[in-house]
Amino acid sequence: MFWHNVKYSWKVLFHNRVLLFWTFLFPILLGTFFKMAFSDIEKKESLDIISVAVVRSSDYENNVVMKEALTQLSIEGENQLFDIIYSSEEEATQQLQDGDIEGYFKFVDDQVQIVVNQSGIDGTIMRFVIDEINGRKKIIESLVEQQIQDRIHEGNWDGIMEPIIEEVKNNVLQSKANIKDASSSNMSYTMIEYYTLIAMACLYSSMIAMFITNYKLANMKAVGKRIVVSPSHKISGLFGSFVASYLVGAIGLFLLFLYTIFVLKVDYGNRLWPVILIACIGLIAGQMLGLSVAALIKSNENTKTGVLVALSMFGSFLSGMMGITMKYVIDTNLPILNLVNPVAMITDGLYSLYYYESFSRYSFDLLSLILFSLLMIIVSFRGLRRQQYDSI
Amino acid sequence: MTVFKTFWQIIKRYKMMILLYTFLLLLFGGLNMKTNDTSLNFVDSKPDIMMIHEDEAIGITKSLIDYMSLHANVSIVSEMSEEIDDALFYRQFNYVIFIPKNYRSDVLNGLKPSITVKSTGDYQASLASMLLDRFLKTQEAFVDSKLSEQEILKAIDDALQDRTEVVVTSKLDMNELSQVTQYFNFASYTLMATIIFIICLVLSSFHEEKVKNRILVSKMSYRVHNRLILMASFGYMLFVFLLFLLFGFLLFGFSLLTWRGFFYFCNAFFFLFVSLTLAILISNLVQKKEAVSGIVNVIALGSAFLCGAFVPVEWLPSSVLKIAHVLPTYWYIQGNEFLKTAEKLQISELGPLAQNMFFLVLFGIGFLGLNLLLLRMKQKRNG
Repeated sequence: MFWHNVKYSWKVLFHNRVLLFWTFLFPILLGTFFKMAFSDIEKKESLDIISVAVVRSSDYENNVVMKEALTQLSIEGENQLFDIIYSSEEEATQQLQDGDIEGYFKFVDDQVQIVVNQSGIDGTIMRFVIDEINGRKKIIESLVEQQIQDRIHEGNWDGIMEPIIEEVKNNVLQSKANIKDASSSNMSYTMIEYYTLIAMACLYSSMIAMFITNYKLANMKAVGKRIVVSPSHKISGLFGSFVASYLVGAIGLFLLFLYTIFVLKVDYGNRLWPVILIACIGLIAGQMLGLSVAALIKSNENTKTGVLVALSMFGSFLSGMMGITMKYVIDTNLPILNLVNPVAMITDGLYSLYYYESFSRYSFDLLSLILFSLLMIIVSFRGLRRQQYDSI
Repeated sequence: MTVFKTFWQIIKRYKMMILLYTFLLLLFGGLNMKTNDTSLNFVDSKPDIMMIHEDEAIGITKSLIDYMSLHANVSIVSEMSEEIDDALFYRQFNYVIFIPKNYRSDVLNGLKPSITVKSTGDYQASLASMLLDRFLKTQEAFVDSKLSEQEILKAIDDALQDRTEVVVTSKLDMNELSQVTQYFNFASYTLMATIIFIICLVLSSFHEEKVKNRILVSKMSYRVHNRLILMASFGYMLFVFLLFLLFGFLLFGFSLLTWRGFFYFCNAFFFLFVSLTLAILISNLVQKKEAVSGIVNVIALGSAFLCGAFVPVEWLPSSVLKIAHVLPTYWYIQGNEFLKTAEKLQISELGPLAQNMFFLVLFGIGFLGLNLLLLRMKQKRNG
């Protein structure tokens, strides 16, 4: 009887094309959209070469320090900061208006003026560079003056400045700040989008569970009426349906994993088995949610689907699907909301595997999912047992 | 009138769905209403930095904190924790600077203590890194020169105080215009979804076999019936447009009561028209109500992702933008982007906007033409 139930539940599920679309196709399509929209975000957020113009003038030609520094910063290579076009002021203004450059440098006497279209990071960096060059010039001047004074004080000043200037210049220009970078190599925050996608797929499988459970309910389907009056074992029948719906959900999730790993190149970190484990437990949580909605809500299938879609989408929204920082905002301001949100539990579990070395946060998420599933099982069985109808 | 009334009665049934999309639009608009500097003068970009210092904030340590605070939005925290790592990952901060214990005394003793940093690796983090690097190199230059701490601090201040003049040519308030454009761009999703979803559901009710047969045997001609359906659909489109107009004014006040605001709404009106024609075409292609939700999600979400409704256009890959040319949403968003940056709105300068609107109308006519073709084919098939 158990295998009979598994077989027919499987057949029923694979005949529902709308359900198959939401389980198999929709997450894959959504993942593809994510990939297309987000593939360049992180690249475009990092510091890039800035297109600028330098207004040609005698003041520019005479400003040896600036000329040399800007030329150095525009040499192709690792340290290139600017892509410089040399033009007249009219040309530079037109180029700025057309969006060909981010701004231009104009030299008046020994001063530099920066012209940009609007405030922003490019203008800030242009200003920083000029300030830095002026600052270094000042440091060298100040140190040279001090060394001369020291030598005069010590009585060994020979009146030749060049070696002092050269020494100070070398020291200042070759000095290196002692900065230790302890950044994580796994900083790709768009991964959260794909993690919420996996979590959403787990929760969407609740619709499969709800749909197949409806076949066991006398108030939902004619088949349900026949099953209720038959002498068959109800728990065995329900468990058979659950196995079938879990298998269908697992196939959908497996395909999604394959697609995200091999086509979308999603990075799940280097701990694959814990990733699979949390996805499997997440799928159980989704299925149990579907079971409890099917058991508790005494309404038609459309309403139950509406409730499940709303719960899944709202959960995904709180977990960062529609804006990555949303999960952080909820975690820091209203943590209770994400502590009871299975989508956030799965997303957080995958995130912690990707970003952190330790398993403590992951274990907490896993435990939360198991507790959530158990709670849903208890709620469902309380709703399903001893149902009696005078008339339907 | 019966057709008209029935149309609105069915719409009433889906009021929750309309409310949901309206809520989404308002939520998004509201989230983008962050107050920024609205000065027309140049305002430096400031990275968000978190500083943890185990050393007492005096002397050189204080000087470093003060310098970073001047050029960045600095938050001081007491110790490194998981919350800080989370904040960095979710880009609440671009850079974390950890100043170790005895930093000041080690610097003064010439020990060159290291400063530990964590970075998001983005543009702002690079700026933060450049700022820190500049301070540390300046500090190092003077520490080696046998000066007292007070003299070092003064020399550092002198060397770092230069500010180059930056002139801004645009007279537009880019912060407000960016918010308005984001609102209108995001609306491409909610408007398209609301129109296609509701119109398809309502029209599929009229396409049900029993209803269709009753319409056919009634004394009302099929042409009149169709005209009434089209009029009612257009009425619904106007209702959505007015709702959108109202929320626009609610979020941005009277700043939309300008020629620029007028053109934003014009663009949105043309886009709604295209969405309506697309909805009518889909309703004739798809008869099953259950399929509507999937189709709406694929078309509206797909267009929104590919054309720049959710992600700013400048961040989309060029290959994606090339594909997006075949979608009406692309032309609508391009129109909004033009309005965001256009310095003058004289007729002679509105060419790009007119071109985008022209493409929208072309899409609308195309969808209507396809719809007519489809109806003819259906009629022929039915004899």
